[in-house]
Amino acid sequence: MSTTDLSFTSPSARPPEAGLGPRGGPSAVLRGRGVVMTPVLELRGVHKTYRLGEHVVPALRGVDLALQAGEMLALTGPSGSGKSTLLNLAGLIDRPDAGEVRLRGDVVTGIGETQATLIRRDAIGFVFQTFNLVPVMTVADNVDYPLFLTGRPVAERRERVAQMLQAVGLAEHAKHRPDALSGGQRQRVAIARALVKRPTLVIADEPTASLDSHTADQVLDLMREQGHAQGVAFLIATHDARLLRRCDRVIALLDGQIIDPQKESSNELAMA
Amino acid sequence: MNSQWLKFAWLNTLRNRRRSSVTVGIAALGTAAILLAGGFALFTYQALEQSSARSTGHLIVGKAEQFQRDEDVPLQHGLDDVAALKATLLADPDVRQVLPRVEFSGLISNGDKSTVMMAAGIDPDAEFAVKGPFLRVKAGAVLASGQHRMVMLGEGLARSLKATPGTSLTLLASTTEGALNALDVTVQGVFSTGIPEIDKRLVYTDVDTAQKLLVTHRVSSLGVFLRDMEATTPARSRVAAALPKLAVQTWLDQATFYKSVKALYNRIFGALGLIIGVIVVFVVTNAMAMAIIERTREIGTLRAVGTLPAQLTQSFALEGMVLGGAGSILGALIALAVSVALLVFPVEMPPPPGRSNGYPLQIVMDPTLYAATLAAMVGLSMLASAFVARRTVTRPIVDALAHV
Repeated sequence: MSTTDLSFTSPSARPPEAGLGPRGGPSAVLRGRGVVMTPVLELRGVHKTYRLGEHVVPALRGVDLALQAGEMLALTGPSGSGKSTLLNLAGLIDRPDAGEVRLRGDVVTGIGETQATLIRRDAIGFVFQTFNLVPVMTVADNVDYPLFLTGRPVAERRERVAQMLQAVGLAEHAKHRPDALSGGQRQRVAIARALVKRPTLVIADEPTASLDSHTADQVLDLMREQGHAQGVAFLIATHDARLLRRCDRVIALLDGQIIDPQKESSNELAMA
Repeated sequence: MNSQWLKFAWLNTLRNRRRSSVTVGIAALGTAAILLAGGFALFTYQALEQSSARSTGHLIVGKAEQFQRDEDVPLQHGLDDVAALKATLLADPDVRQVLPRVEFSGLISNGDKSTVMMAAGIDPDAEFAVKGPFLRVKAGAVLASGQHRMVMLGEGLARSLKATPGTSLTLLASTTEGALNALDVTVQGVFSTGIPEIDKRLVYTDVDTAQKLLVTHRVSSLGVFLRDMEATTPARSRVAAALPKLAVQTWLDQATFYKSVKALYNRIFGALGLIIGVIVVFVVTNAMAMAIIERTREIGTLRAVGTLPAQLTQSFALEGMVLGGAGSILGALIALAVSVALLVFPVEMPPPPGRSNGYPLQIVMDPTLYAATLAAMVGLSMLASAFVARRTVTRPIVDALAHV
């Protein structure tokens, strides 16, 4: 089992506004002479098992992980290694059998479904491999949907949606339906939908798998650019080598365990 | 509720237009069927109410015994001093007319043949003025005040006695003292009430002739005719207060036929409405179930981005509202069109069982019936949609996202 240094500070990490976490708690603590950021996401000894008929399949076996604000962390590994399970747990759409998940320092492992939904609504964005846009909504409405859920005033929502669509280069497609867009454009809409509410964490499952290489590069650039601009942490499951090279860190999973801490360290060093 | 949810629901109903159109169409036909059947039932009720009230009067004033037990001799429980009672009743602002009635039975004979009769002594001019053409005159003319010893016979009775206008007949009845009395009369006209069984027995004559036959000045009861049906209940209270020694019944108390028909129709049309409602609910449920299964992955996405299950359930209920609402409004328009068309192009219904006359088919356009039916259709559609959505919206998000 691999362990991750929970006090790791990403080179691209930046302190949240006013030095406070979004929920008012301290986002940084002093350790020695440096400032140590409270991770946006922490997994401690997380286990997850699936039952398929009479078979018990361990999906995650004691995973420890920390993700800092503004950091882009890639999860790689073969199919069945536990990447998607880890994303599901980090995105609060599934629960671990054992271990602890912390979001911005708060333990969220035992919270109720409604509370988890509200945390997802306010703090977590999702980017799916197949975009998962709502086909009957326009591009603008798709991007607006997470803001609409939060009950923000219409004027504020319109302004933020327009800004976001401008940022992802789709302002002129605001009134179009998703089926009128190319794959790359749809994924950019999905990224805009994930980022428009200014989340602290974005979960991306194979975001470039359905895209050609040129479009995938554009989408990656967009995620990096927007993520860094907003200080958003990205947790990305991918097989895409180009994407792996451009992430701040890479963690390899095999049979539900992190297997390659050296690679992780070397990546850090390379970026430093 | 935010209008954005309604917009979302509307857009979702347009995803599969053919399926939505079929659902709306069936809801429309169901609604139209309920409204037309209900409107026909209401027309029947109203027609029978009018007929009952026109037959007896909106209020019937008599001695309590008159309504409670049979008489040993004719007019044993009859009313005296009719003129004073009429004056008291006519003083009420809602009372339009007061008609005395002498009801008796006996024999009627043409010399060769005698048969049983049910007779009523009436005030002819007032009766026909108030009731309108309540009898269908088959031969001769109606009675007129001032003509004595004249009778009108039911069609069947006239046929039995081979009587036509101008024929002389003899009425035989027990007097109030118990003696047998006979009176020669002349046939003024032949009528039909539309009920053959009644037409075989019924005889109308004027009050004076009836009193002469029965050797009395009494009448059986007084029929009080009001300005409208709605005045019945308050007028009853006032009349009862003004005449404390007498009993006052409403037309409804004596309308046994109306009450039986209403009870029967309520069951028939209630069952019909229930069946149609169930069909509409099944159709909406089926359409929504298919839509929800198709959108399971999308539901997982919406849940992942922070939509609460209750919000999604509400969204699907709104879709049901859109489908049910569109269907019921369309159905209401169809029902209105048919109802108006029947006024413009009358359709004659065949005579009901036990009757000899048909009647025009009409459908009442009752706002309460329309509002209740539309509300029921929309409410049932919403409940059905929410019911089928509840399982999918609470399904684990991971499973929903993996749905193919």
